[in-house]
This record gives sequence, structure tokens and C-alpha cells, in this order.
Amino acid sequence: MSLMLNHISFKPTEEYHLNDINLRFDSGKMYTILGRTLSGKTTLLKTIAGLQTPDSGSINFEDTDFLSIPVWKRNVAMVYQQFINYPHLNVRDNVAFPLKQRKMDENLIEKEVQEAMEKVGLIGFESRKIQELSGGQQQRVALARSLAKKAKILLLDEPLVNLDYKLREGLREEFKKLFNVSDESNSILIYASTDPLEAMQLNGDIIVIDEGKILQTGTAKDVFENPATAKVAEITNDPAMNINKCLIQDNSLIMNDSVQIQIPDELKTVPNGKYLVGIRATDIYLDDQGFAFDVEISEISGSETFLHLRNNNLKCVATIEEVKTYNTNEVVKINFDKSKIYLFEESGDLRHSPYQQ
Amino acid sequence: MNFKHKYVFLLPGLIVLIGILIFPIIFTVRLSLSGWNSFNPGLDFIGLKNYIRLFTDDPRFWQSFFRLSFLAITTVFLQYIIGFALAHMVWKDIKFKRFFRVLFLIPMMTTPVIMTVIWRTFFHESLGPLNDFLSIFGVQPPWLSSPGLAKVSIIVVEVWQWTSFMFLLMLAGLLSLPKEPFLAAAVDGASPFKKFIYVTFPLMAPISIGAIIIRLIEASKIMDTVFVLTSGGPGTSTETSSFFIFIKGLREFQMGYAATASFTYLIIMIISLTIIVKVLTKVLMRE
Repeated sequence: MSLMLNHISFKPTEEYHLNDINLRFDSGKMYTILGRTLSGKTTLLKTIAGLQTPDSGSINFEDTDFLSIPVWKRNVAMVYQQFINYPHLNVRDNVAFPLKQRKMDENLIEKEVQEAMEKVGLIGFESRKIQELSGGQQQRVALARSLAKKAKILLLDEPLVNLDYKLREGLREEFKKLFNVSDESNSILIYASTDPLEAMQLNGDIIVIDEGKILQTGTAKDVFENPATAKVAEITNDPAMNINKCLIQDNSLIMNDSVQIQIPDELKTVPNGKYLVGIRATDIYLDDQGFAFDVEISEISGSETFLHLRNNNLKCVATIEEVKTYNTNEVVKINFDKSKIYLFEESGDLRHSPYQQ
Repeated sequence: MNFKHKYVFLLPGLIVLIGILIFPIIFTVRLSLSGWNSFNPGLDFIGLKNYIRLFTDDPRFWQSFFRLSFLAITTVFLQYIIGFALAHMVWKDIKFKRFFRVLFLIPMMTTPVIMTVIWRTFFHESLGPLNDFLSIFGVQPPWLSSPGLAKVSIIVVEVWQWTSFMFLLMLAGLLSLPKEPFLAAAVDGASPFKKFIYVTFPLMAPISIGAIIIRLIEASKIMDTVFVLTSGGPGTSTETSSFFIFIKGLREFQMGYAATASFTYLIIMIISLTIIVKVLTKVLMRE
């Protein structure tokens, strides 16, 4: 059983929100749609759910034309980025809502509701009003509602983005558990996210989308190691991979007048010319013999420090594995891990990845 | 700081309040205890005689009151249904939405007395266009001179005149609803009809109660329509409380007795509206 999207396009204004989307989702698998804000993730999910009609293209599910089925008859469940619940119902009735629409037996509803509430840890809150819950609990209610429905397609649109850090970590763990459970039910799970780390952690198939176009699909490992284009490399890394123009000439990689490095052996076959060089922030390290860069901004993130560096027109972000304060315009010396260098054609296509044989 | 004179600033409001609200009520109570009529104008004191007469010896007042209850509840119920339906219709994006929104408001903008005169002409048994049309089918109902049909005519005019107001309140309510629950309901498998029953209607409950109460209060004062359309007739079959009080006070000049009826009517209205609010809250909001 699979969900097929064929040539889906949606262009409400001058710009494409979805541009010729072709995707295949298989039952019992989990997919992560990774893209920046306004890349078309939500539009894509809404199109699958039926809240939006595409201008062209077709969707097939279980050999039926999905687009001809109105939204309330499609067997889908959706959790939104905002915590959407029914303000006039209590927690229990909120979770039971989709089941009541199906005219299920009361006892069965009660059982399913209890099960779903247990999964998200809401036992004891049954008769509370929605307004009396915290943001995280409200999102749990929405999640429980989507789980109780036992839909064939479960759509999660950045469900964790509006929660605080601690809760996000906790719920993400639960998500992973829930997804393993739902594997048995053979449903399709589609999770939209802007956070590359989250996408990698969830460990499903990754679909990279930008400006309404699918840029790459593949396993988390594959997308991480071999990004198809420079743009994918930017989207799938946080902080974004440093992409800079460079010139390869006589075995040296020239980024600007002062930053020139000897290229590693595996790049020696690359002909001279203009390229884009990609280096992950984590592959830049402090080195007293390295190149001098000015600190533009230094931000502490957890146990790491992000340094926004500049050398004339060359900019890059480096992740330093310690917490340290740097002054603005302080000069630091850094170097690049040559074995981790990506090379892209000027058009953006991948030319060389360190993980390629 | 000590503002001893701060209460002086309350005076303008207080004077207006006393002048237009408190004094008339107190004067009405005092008047109801007097035998003021056209032969004996003056604030003498006759005790509870008027009240005893009203409660033991005046079925006409009570008949007019129950008639009023019937008319008010029926008209407001119809106004609510039609007003809600119309508001729901122009709430979503439909063609000529703005045109319809304005169109449905026109009855409210007209003057009730003038429109009632037009309706009276419309309902006229031998000259009216309605019966002229119905004569094609061989019927000419006595719209204003049969007790039953006269009530129907009043209901029609009242509903026509005031559904606009209900429409306006309900449309404002619908437009103020959050959009999110409807998104969720669609994905949760609610058809448009179920969406209305399980989401729109419960969310609209507080607004509905407010609108119904406002209209009930207004409809209880129904006077101009009756006055112009039937003058309470035929007989007393369309006489309402306010029309009864008007006849007693300003036609027969039994001022004391009219004051008694007014004050009794006021008390009954306060009590019954309080009960209605409680019941509606319980039924509509399930609390």
C-alpha cells in the first residue's frame, strides 16, 4: 500500500508553493520532510490531508484517486504547529472527537481514548478544560486525538516547534517510541521539520524541500553524507554548511587571497576551475598555524560556541567544542579539516563528497 | 491624598440615572398604589386594591401576557433560525457576499411603523396584493380579521423586521470564531453538517444566548406592530401586555391601574428572563 503524489503543483500567486512534486510514501514507514520556513512543507501536508487542492497533478492512495475524496472522508490525521484543539470540549471529548464522527460504540471509544491518552501521558487530565492546560499538554491532546483516530496517514507539521526545549526533547523521544509502535499498524507517518538534527534523530527517510521543489530524498545517512546540491547541504546542517566560492588551481584550493589550502589527494583529479567549496561548521577547528579570521558574532549554544568569522569577503561559521566568550573583532586562527571538504559545481550540483569512494 | 469632593464628579451620571430610571420606577410603584383615573386624578392612597383587582379579577391582562409570551418566543425562535442560517450562508466565501450582507440588513434600517403600514396594505383582505395573488388559487384568507391568522400576520411582520438584527449579531459572532477548530474538525472526519453540529454551534452558544436574550427583551415590548397592524383585534385576540397597559393608561386613563399592570409586568419579565438565561446556558453550553 502506498501513497503516490504525481506532478503536484500549486501556484496561488506568482510564486510556486509546490512545484511538480513527485513522491512515493510506503505503508509502515516514516518520512521526514525537511525544509526551511516557507519552503512548502505545510502546503504539501495540507494537500495530502485535503485541506488544499493543488492546481494540477494527482494523488493516489490504495489505488483510489485521493483528490476526488473530500477531506473528512480521507483517512488522515494531522497535528499542527499551533496547538489546535476544540476549546468548547474537555480533554477526553477532544480526543474522542474523531471517533465520535465515525459513530463508534461508546465502550470502544472509551477504550481507544484511554489508550491514546496513556501513550502521550495525559492520564488524569480527562475532564480538564483545554484552556487550563499548558502548551505542551495542549499539543499532547492534539497528538492523542490524531493517534486515537488510527488513521492510515498521520501528518505531523512541526509539532514540537512551539514547545520549550525540555519538553521538546521529551516529546521527541516519545515520538520515536510512538512511531515504532505505529509501524505495526502499517500507517504512513509524515513529519515536517525545519530542524536537521530532529530529522536525523527521527531516522526516517528524509525528503528535502525548498521553494516548493523536492531537492533530494533518501535515508538520513545518505542525505547527510551526500547532499545532492549545495542548497541541500545548507538545509540539512545546523548551523548551515559553509558554502563559499573557490578556485582550484595547481593542487591548491583558493578561497580568497589569504585563505588557500593544499587539496587532499582524492581531489587531485578535479580539473582546475571555479567551484563551490562546502565545509561543515564542525569541521573547522582552532589552529595556531591556521588562517586569521575576525570574529563577527560569537554565540554560545549548549556546550558549544558558534563563531561567525570573516576574512575580507570570506565568511564562515565554526563550531567550537567548548564554551568560551570571544570579543567582537577578536582575531582567531582556524583551519579546515581537509578530509571533510565537499566540492560543488558552480551550478550547485555535488562534485565531490568525502564519503564517496 | 484626600479627595473629599471626589463624589461630586459622580453627580452628572447619578442625576441622569435618577431622572430617567430610578424616579420613574419609584413613581410607578407609588402610582400603582393610587386610584388615579379620569374622574379622580391625584395621588391618593388605596393600598393594594389595584393589585388585588389585577390578580383576581382581570383575565384580560393574563391572556394578553400569555399571548405576548407566545408571540415573543415564536418570533425570536424563527428569527434565530433564519438569522443564523443567513449569517452562515454569507460567512463563507460565496459570490456577491457583500451584496447579500447588505441586503439582509435592509429591514432593520427601515422604520417599523412605516413598514407595518406597508405590510397592512399588503395583507389587506380585498385590496392587498397578497390576496390578489392568492385569488388565482381561489383562496382569500382573512389575514387581519381572523384571530388565528392575525397572530400569524404579526409573527410574519416581526420576523421580517427583526431577523436582520439577529443576522447581524450571528454574523459578527461567526466572524469572531477561531479558524483552527474547523481545520481540526475537517481532518478529524467531520462532514460539513457534523462540523456545524459539533463545532460551529457549540462555539456560537454564548453569542446565541446573548442574541436571543436581547431579542426576547425587545420582542416583549412589541407594541407598534400590533398597534398599526391590528390594534389588538379582532376583539382582543392580538392584544399584548404593553398594548393592554397602553389602553388602560392612555385610552381609559386608569393611570393607577395601568401602573399596577406595568410594575407587575416588569417583575414577571425580570424573573422569567433570569430563568430563561439559566435554562439556555444549561441547554446550549452543557454546563
